[in-house]
Amino acid sequence: MATDNIIKIKNVSFSYPESDAPAIDNISFNVKRGSWTSIIGHNGSGKSTIIRLINGLLVPDENGSPSIEVDGIKLTDDTVWEVRNRVGIVFQNPDNQFVGATVADDVAFGLENRGIPHSEMVKIVPEAIKAVGMSEYTNAEPANLSGGQKQRVAIAGILAIKPKIIVLDEATSMLDPEGRNQILSIVKDMKEKYDLTVISITHDIDEANMADQVLVMNDGKLITQGSTKTVFSQVSLLKNIGLDVPFFEQIKEKLQQDAIKLPDNLDSEKELINYLCQLNSKM
Amino acid sequence: MSKILIGRYVAGDSIVYRMDPRGKLLATILFILFVFLANNPISYLIVTIFSLAAVAATKLKPKIFWDGVKPLIWLILFTSFLQLFFTVGGTVYWRWTIFALSSYGFTNAIFIFIRFTVIILISTVMTVTTKPLEIADAIEWLLKPLKLIRIPVDKIALVMSIALRFVPTLFDETFKIMNAQRSRGADFNNGGLVTRAKAITPLLVPLFINSLETAIDLSTAMESRGYRGDKGRTKFRVLKWSNVDFINLFYFVLLLGLLLVFRTH
Repeated sequence: MATDNIIKIKNVSFSYPESDAPAIDNISFNVKRGSWTSIIGHNGSGKSTIIRLINGLLVPDENGSPSIEVDGIKLTDDTVWEVRNRVGIVFQNPDNQFVGATVADDVAFGLENRGIPHSEMVKIVPEAIKAVGMSEYTNAEPANLSGGQKQRVAIAGILAIKPKIIVLDEATSMLDPEGRNQILSIVKDMKEKYDLTVISITHDIDEANMADQVLVMNDGKLITQGSTKTVFSQVSLLKNIGLDVPFFEQIKEKLQQDAIKLPDNLDSEKELINYLCQLNSKM
Repeated sequence: MSKILIGRYVAGDSIVYRMDPRGKLLATILFILFVFLANNPISYLIVTIFSLAAVAATKLKPKIFWDGVKPLIWLILFTSFLQLFFTVGGTVYWRWTIFALSSYGFTNAIFIFIRFTVIILISTVMTVTTKPLEIADAIEWLLKPLKLIRIPVDKIALVMSIALRFVPTLFDETFKIMNAQRSRGADFNNGGLVTRAKAITPLLVPLFINSLETAIDLSTAMESRGYRGDKGRTKFRVLKWSNVDFINLFYFVLLLGLLLVFRTH
């Protein structure tokens, strides 16, 4: 049977050597192929640690027979490089992941590591740069690029190796709103075009709302998961662990507190507005 | 954003810019060796004409080359004066205790002056027309034979290119920290040497911590992008020899020939 889940994580725990409390506490979840998953949670809740476990940068604790499977490959010491070929990560700090001296050099870095012949690299690199709209900066040095442009280059570097999964590890948190929207729309386009699976770790509630599935982490535990609708309607739970809820859910909650009855099937801001307008006209 | 240039690269367009950095580096080293063959007026004249021709070939303003010589002008003059006053031989025109002015002194002083100046000119020709990264590539090529004795030349080259890439980033970081300290009353520009050195300490500590964090982030990013040492790595940036480089090196061989013929044996 072909696996429909591109990522399968079972009973995974992880503790950093210098701390007593586990950073990840017995977590299991699946990610559907071609879906968009958001992981939310406050700082230190273990969101980024999960990603580092998925591509083998960190190794899970032995206890509880943990298993991590990516695209049908079980993650072991021998398969770690195969897994990394399938997972591309855009990190938070635009400067600290820019390895090459110029845009083209940086995009080529992943290809160089994989021993792709020069004749192929000269074809792939310009294509990847074009896909993120950076063609006119091909020979630019990182010092002359904005944060958003550097993140676009990071995405190009990932596209060049043709992964199955692209991970945004708070990739937009250091960008201005314009840069953030650009990155998200590029990722959205690429997801459609190359049939990618997206995992986005984020503090930004609007970014989280773009997902098909949301995982909520707190103190290394997965406390709830489901569609954006099911997760974000648990307003009090999210507020308890100090997370934001989309504006529309906040309004719904406040209205319900004021004893205004709302139907359950209001899924968007628009539906809510329509309903409220009708409510007014009935009175 | 501050735009700090490392090295002395000046953007321009001439045949020297199109030469392979390996050729330029090799030629510069050869030239420095060849200069020491010159030992009489005619051979020094050849060397001078040759270096001025190289300067002219860059099509850059003479001021750029003067800027190359300027920082060293006192050293050059001092060395020349030592030659002038301490060389004895030939016709002695004037003598006072250990000082002497002689015909040998005059010629030696001029020779030393020319030797210094042409070496600086030629190396300036290379550094202003070659980007630091290209120079790093050229050095890598030059070091390649060391691979035979198991020196990790590829890794050294990657380290050089990452170091060059992070220089502007670290400068930005430094200015940010300086401004943060200034806004809290730190003073970097006043006081004596000791006071200023002390003012720099609160700058260095955060900078040092920042660069460690950058290094950790960078290594995580490199590893997740598939870096696993030199095993099976290919190179995207490839240097290509062209006819211009062979012609250029031919000129240097010609220079060697001329010097060997015209020097005093």
